[in-house]
Amino acid sequence: MTRRTALAAAAELLAWWAGLVLLWLVFISTVDTLERIVGASVAAVGALLARAGRRSVIWR
Amino acid sequence: MNGWILAATVLLTAGGGAALWGVATGPLSRRVVAQNLSTTVICPSLLLLAQGYGRTSYVDLALLLALLGPVGTLVFARLLADELTGDRPAAWGLTWTAAGVGAAVVLVLCAVTGPSRAMVKLLVIGALLISGNVVASRALSGGLRGVRDG
Repeated sequence: MTRRTALAAAAELLAWWAGLVLLWLVFISTVDTLERIVGASVAAVGALLARAGRRSVIWR
Repeated sequence: MNGWILAATVLLTAGGGAALWGVATGPLSRRVVAQNLSTTVICPSLLLLAQGYGRTSYVDLALLLALLGPVGTLVFARLLADELTGDRPAAWGLTWTAAGVGAAVVLVLCAVTGPSRAMVKLLVIGALLISGNVVASRALSGGLRGVRDG
């Protein structure tokens, strides 16, 4: 993995993470610290899964 | 009984009844289309019921249905691919009518809710509902090669 592809991967993960965190914050009923922590954590897992899923569908 | 619950009842009776009739009778191609459209009828009804009963947590039911309904149709499209090759079900008029009903319900509820996180949630549900339904309809009518060729 070159520096360029690593940067692209990080950017993609960050984009997925940001989108998923936003979705989480929209879907929950009350926003508090615990929800933010849980949302950020599951969004991180979700971002990894989303990138893996995208890569398995679009072969690169 | 308020206007929201009345609207949900009318939608469920008319649309749900038609979907049930379509699923239970006729050729296979009509049944899968009716099965697909039942999601588009029931999801807005759930949104209306959530508003009618004043329980916003019920909106999650509609969200789940909007997400899982089209997935279920895709499974049918995949499993019934052989049976459906000769008789491609295409009901674009019905599909877009149902999508229009869903969009109308979501927009009305958005107007009532006002700008907030709940409104964004409603918009996400509406987008999921309509796009999922259109994708599922395309898969049924053979428009998606991945589903057709497996």
